[in-house]
Amino acid sequence: MSAVAPGAITLENVTLCHRDRPAVHHLSGRFEPGSLTAIVGPNGAGKSTLLAGLMGRIAPSTGRIRLPADGAGHIAYLPQQADIDRGFPVSVADVVMLGHWRRLGAWRAGGAAQRAQALDALAAVGLAGMQRRVIGELSAGQFQRVLFARLLLQDAPVILLDEPFNAVDERTTADLLALLHRWHREGRTVVAVLHDLAMVRAHFPRTLLLAREPIAWGATAEVLLPAHLQRARLQAEHWEAQAPWCAVPDQPAATMRAA
Amino acid sequence: MNLLHRRHLLLGALALPAFVQAQDAPLQVVASFSLLADMVAQVGGPAVQVHALVGPDADAHAFTPAPADAQRLAKAGLIVVNGLGFEGWIDRLVKASGSKAPVLVASSGITLRRVAGHTDPHAWQSLVAAQRYVENIRAALVAALGTTRPAQAAAIDARAKAYTAQLAALDTSVRARLAAIPPAQRRIVTSHDAFGYLADAWGLEMRAAQGWTSAGEPSAADVARLIRQLKAQQARALFVENISDPRLVERIAREAGASVGGTLYSDALSPPGTRADSYLKLMTHNADTLLAALAPAPALAPAAAPTAAPTADNSRR
Amino acid sequence: MTVYDALVQPFVEFGFMRRALVACLALGLSCGPVGTLLVLRRMSLAGDAMAHALLPGAAVAFLLVGLSLPAMSLGAFIAALAVAALAGGVARFTAQREDASLAGFYLIALAAGVMLISLRGNSVDLMRVLFGSILAVDDAALLLVAGVASASLLVLALVWRPLLVECFDPNFLRAVGGRGALHHQLFLVLLVANLVAGFQALGTLMAVGLLMLPAIAARCWAHGVGRLSVVAFGIATACGWGGLLLSYHFGLPSGPAIVLLAGGVYLVSLAVGPRDSLRARFITAHRHRTA
Repeated sequence: MSAVAPGAITLENVTLCHRDRPAVHHLSGRFEPGSLTAIVGPNGAGKSTLLAGLMGRIAPSTGRIRLPADGAGHIAYLPQQADIDRGFPVSVADVVMLGHWRRLGAWRAGGAAQRAQALDALAAVGLAGMQRRVIGELSAGQFQRVLFARLLLQDAPVILLDEPFNAVDERTTADLLALLHRWHREGRTVVAVLHDLAMVRAHFPRTLLLAREPIAWGATAEVLLPAHLQRARLQAEHWEAQAPWCAVPDQPAATMRAA
Repeated sequence: MNLLHRRHLLLGALALPAFVQAQDAPLQVVASFSLLADMVAQVGGPAVQVHALVGPDADAHAFTPAPADAQRLAKAGLIVVNGLGFEGWIDRLVKASGSKAPVLVASSGITLRRVAGHTDPHAWQSLVAAQRYVENIRAALVAALGTTRPAQAAAIDARAKAYTAQLAALDTSVRARLAAIPPAQRRIVTSHDAFGYLADAWGLEMRAAQGWTSAGEPSAADVARLIRQLKAQQARALFVENISDPRLVERIAREAGASVGGTLYSDALSPPGTRADSYLKLMTHNADTLLAALAPAPALAPAAAPTAAPTADNSRR
Repeated sequence: MTVYDALVQPFVEFGFMRRALVACLALGLSCGPVGTLLVLRRMSLAGDAMAHALLPGAAVAFLLVGLSLPAMSLGAFIAALAVAALAGGVARFTAQREDASLAGFYLIALAAGVMLISLRGNSVDLMRVLFGSILAVDDAALLLVAGVASASLLVLALVWRPLLVECFDPNFLRAVGGRGALHHQLFLVLLVANLVAGFQALGTLMAVGLLMLPAIAARCWAHGVGRLSVVAFGIATACGWGGLLLSYHFGLPSGPAIVLLAGGVYLVSLAVGPRDSLRARFITAHRHRTA
C-alpha cells in the first residue's frame, strides 16, 4: 500500500436532481488532495446523492464535477450495507478478493500472492481466520469490516464511504476509524458521510455541512458552529410542494476527467 | 282473360326463375373431417356443397372450433359425423350452434372393433366398412333433398353405386396382391394404432408404438418391449403417419433394424393437389405403400414402392 | 433380478436408453450452474415463462418456412431472447421489477403466438414438432444439447465472476467498470439457448424440471455457488438415470417419472437436508463450538 499523489475533486456549481427536485443544489467547492473530510447534515440533505454523483452514477443537472486524471476506476466506494445481498452464498474470502479487481480483471484468477494480501487485509481489520465463513453468517459489524478489507485491497487514491459506522459496535468503530487515519496518513483523499457529530469533531479535520445547499465547507471547528447547524436544520425541514423553478444560471453539465 | 289474370301470369313468369333457382341451390353439408367430406362430395356431386370442420392434414383430436364453424353448422342442411367417439367435441358444438339440421352418423351399421375396452373409431380404414359409409351417406342425402328433386336423387343413387363399385374394385385388387405374401411376413409397426380395421380386413399384423389416441406419453418399458418384439419377430417395416411424432418411430426402427417404410395416412386427407387428397387416393396410397414394404423382394427401401396409379379415381368435384 | 440387471443392464441393451441418459447428463452439466444462478437471482419462474415466450417465434418460422425443425428452433430462440431482453430492459430503465416485466412480455408473446397459429387456419400441433421427448432423442438433438452445454460451460467459465458480483453487489461492479448489463444479457442468452435445446431434446416439462428442481434442492445440501452447481448437476444426472429406470421397470411415462423423482429429492432435501431444511430448523443440534 504505497502513498499516492491524487488529484483534487472539484465541484463547480453542481446540482444533482431526482426528477425535478434537487437533492444537491448548486454546490461548489473542492476536496483537497489527501484530505479527510466528513459530510454531515440532516436526513434528506443529499449526502448519499452527492457521493453517487462523485462516483459518476448520477449526472449533474448543472455544473461540473472534476475528478482526478486517473479516471473513475480509482475511486473506491463503500456502499450502505443494505445494497448488498447478504443471502448470497459467497465466502468472506471471495468478497475480499474482489478488491483485486482492477489488477486481475474479470477472469484472471488470483495467485498465492494476491491471496496472501487478502489474508493480510482481513487481519488488518481484525477478522483473521474468518476467510471461509459465509457472509450470511456474519454480524453487521463483521461484514462492515469485510467491506473495509476489500477497500484496503483496492488501494485507491480516493475513498468514499457512505455511513460506514451505521449499526456497528464501538469496538469496530474504533478499529475502522484507525484505518481511516491510516489512509489519511498515506495521502489518500478520504470522504465519509457521517451522522455522529462528536466523532466528526474528534477525528475529521475538514467537514462539509450540507442541507441540500452547502451551509459551510472547511475546517471542522469553523463549520460545526451552532448557527450553521441551526440553518441546516431549518433548510432541510423546508419542503415546498410548489417550489418555484430555479433561476440560477446553469452551466453545461458534464463530469470531466482531466483536471 | 281480364287484367287480373294477366298480372298473375306476369308475376308468375317473374317468380319462376327465382323458384327454379331456389330448387337448384346445392344442399349445404358440413362434415366433421376431410375424409368424410370427400365421400359426401363424391356421392352428392353438384347437388351438395360440403365443408369439413377438420381440414386436410389436421388432427381431429386437437381441433378447437372457431365461431365460423358454428355459423356453418347453423346454416347446414345436413351434418355428417363419424361417431364412435372420434369427435369428442361435436355434440357440444352442434348444440351451441343451434342447428336444426339432421345429424348422420356415418359409421352406423358397421361391425365394430374393440381395443382395450374402447371402441376403435377409425372404421373408414376398412374398404368394406367404407362401402357401408357410402350407403348411409346416400340415404341421408336423398332424405335431406326430399321428394322435391327426384332427378337429383336419382343422380345421387347412380353416383353412390359407381363409387361403391370403385371401392369394391380396389379392395379386391389389394387382396389379390396380398395373397402373394405369406401371412407370417405381414408384420407392420406404425406409430398410431388407427389401422386396426385395415389390418383386420386385409389380414395384416399391426403393432403400435403408442396408444390409439394422440395423447399419452410412452414409457421406456413400452419402447423397450416394442424393440424386443421387432427384433424377435423380425418385423419388416415401420410406418410413420402424418399426424404424430415421427421421431419416436424412427428411433425404434433404427434400433430394431427395421426400415421406416414411408407415410401412411390415417385420420386426414393430404392437402389438395397432393397424393392423398381424396379417400380413394388415400386408401390406394396406403395399400401400395404397405405392399411395397412387405414385398417378398429383398429391397425394402421406400424407393421401391411402385407409384400409386389410382385405378378408377373419381375426379374431385 | 441382480443389482446389475436393475440398474445397469437396460442401458447396455438399448441404445435409446443410453442416448436418453447422455442427453440428461449433457443438459445437467449446463443446467447445474444456470439453474443455480436463476434461483439465486430470484428468477425461478423464468424457465416456465420462456417456454411460453418462444411460441410466436416458432409460429412465424412455421408460416415462413413450413414445418422445418431448424427454422422453428431458430425462431423460437429469437423470440424467447427478445422477450428476455425486453423484460430486462424495462426492469433496468423503469421502476418495474423484473418479474413483472417478464410476466407482461411473455403473456404478450404467448397470445401473439396462439393468434398467429390460428390465423393460419391449421390446427397442426406445432409444439409437438418443436418439443421432443426423451425417448426419441436422435443424433441431431443430442448434438444440439451437447453443443449448447459445452458452449455454456465455456462462456460461464469466462464470465463467472462478473455474473456473480452483478447478482449480489451490482454497485461494486459498476464502480470498477465491469459491464453488468452486458453480462446479464449474456446470461439470458445462455438460459434461452439451454432451454430451447432442452425443449427440443426432452420437451418442456423435462427441460424446465431438470433446470430448476435440482438447483432448488441443492440449497439444502451445499453452500457456495460452485458447490451448489456441482450438487445440482449430480442431482439432475441421478434423477435422469433413476427416472429412466423407473420408466423402464414399471412402465411409467418417462418425462414425468424423471421430474417427479427430482421433486421427490427436493421434498426429502427440504425435510432432512443439512442446511436450510425443516430438520435444521426444528431439530436443533446438540453440539456447538466454543466460538
